[in-house]
Amino acid sequence: MKLVVNGADVEVSDGINVTQLLVERRVKMPDMVSVELNETVLQRAEFETTRLREGDRVELLYFMGGGRGTDTV
Amino acid sequence: MILGEVEAPIFQTAAFGYASAEEMADVFAGRAPGHVYTRLSNPTTLALERRLAAAENGVGALATSSGMAAIAVTALGLLRPGDEILTAKGIFGGSVSFFRNILGRLNIRAVFVDGSDTAQVAAAVTPKTRAIFVETIGNPGMDVPDLPALGALARERNLPLVVDSTVTTPELVKPGQHGAALVIHSTSKFINGHGIAIGGAVIDTGKFDWSRGPFEDIAALARRAGAYAFLAHLRTVIARDLGACPAPGSSFLMLHGLDTLPLRLKTHVENARALAQALSTDRRVLDVGYPGLPGSPYFERAQRLFGGRAGAILTLRVGSLAKAFAFINALKSARRAANLGETRTLVIHPASTIFREYAPADRLSLGVPDDLIRVSVGLEDSSAILTDFEQALTVAQKE
Repeated sequence: MKLVVNGADVEVSDGINVTQLLVERRVKMPDMVSVELNETVLQRAEFETTRLREGDRVELLYFMGGGRGTDTV
Repeated sequence: MILGEVEAPIFQTAAFGYASAEEMADVFAGRAPGHVYTRLSNPTTLALERRLAAAENGVGALATSSGMAAIAVTALGLLRPGDEILTAKGIFGGSVSFFRNILGRLNIRAVFVDGSDTAQVAAAVTPKTRAIFVETIGNPGMDVPDLPALGALARERNLPLVVDSTVTTPELVKPGQHGAALVIHSTSKFINGHGIAIGGAVIDTGKFDWSRGPFEDIAALARRAGAYAFLAHLRTVIARDLGACPAPGSSFLMLHGLDTLPLRLKTHVENARALAQALSTDRRVLDVGYPGLPGSPYFERAQRLFGGRAGAILTLRVGSLAKAFAFINALKSARRAANLGETRTLVIHPASTIFREYAPADRLSLGVPDDLIRVSVGLEDSSAILTDFEQALTVAQKE
């Protein structure tokens, strides 16, 4: 299925959850990432239980100190 | 882990390089992970932060250059001019000074209350209050706040409860379990444990909903960072701009301290209990402050909160300033030093050192009379500590 991850179209396995997305996309430092799904921030406990759907917009954000992770706040 | 190393490597570098301008821009924008500059983050320090967050069952941690730096970034992250912070009396003199002098300059008022009296804390909450601050065991007040009751009060008033757990460490209590929003440590103390590095940390327990708190900027950040909002606020604004970062080598030493913390705390507490019991039956000692003594007004609370282990700091009063100095000078193996939580037994006279900037009446109100001695009980053989204190008390009687 297709998702939009950080503004880019990507192809991922059908029906995966957020944790699986982080693995499949080889996301670095997965314990440091904040995940926003369709403009709603997910709690870490929700990563395993949140199944992704075709066309979902996922933002992977890091708050490690370089910048604010977003220009909107 | 990079090469299968068992211990965390020390990343002794100021900056981290990137292959392209685009990659670096992504990291700065938070679209990609990465370290930029050790003032902002560092892999060795990140390893420490992960360990501390796990130890407190928190959502994350920020390590700082000292315990005072952890207090400073936390207070400056929460408070603005016109705000108030409710703080316990009988806390560390450095914290008192920061709250009064630095926050006072910023028109932020610290209101000192008896932190062990929850009703008094509740009565002092005003519409300007933005946080409640206590130490798990007041140093040197030796009082024990009722953390569950304060946690309930903070929740009811929608305020973050900030708990300095330096003297207890996660080994004795996890304040987040009792409703604390933030836990602060001076890692220079028991966590390092050997008196060989200075550091601090603030851990977010995940117990405070930043999206609904009285902090507009953090609430706005919560829309993107969720439970990590306060730490994101510190990392990307407050701590970043203050520059109170730990040295990577210090983070390495803190990690090593954490490895042996449970073993050390066990002996620290056993030795402190033995010394407190011996001093409490000695007629030459006017008073012993140790919440692990059955005679302490905080005994039951300490038993309940700390699983019967009331820490390894105690105070004693010997009747006069002259006797206090004579006692301290007569100690043969205990060291006269300002730190606490080291392997060695350390003593200090708070009134003439940590609290010297305050007038005598002010010191008394902070729980620091002139004859008070603070002891951080070390890991030496217990009978050797008792013998040393016994002979020093004999010498002090000549004054």
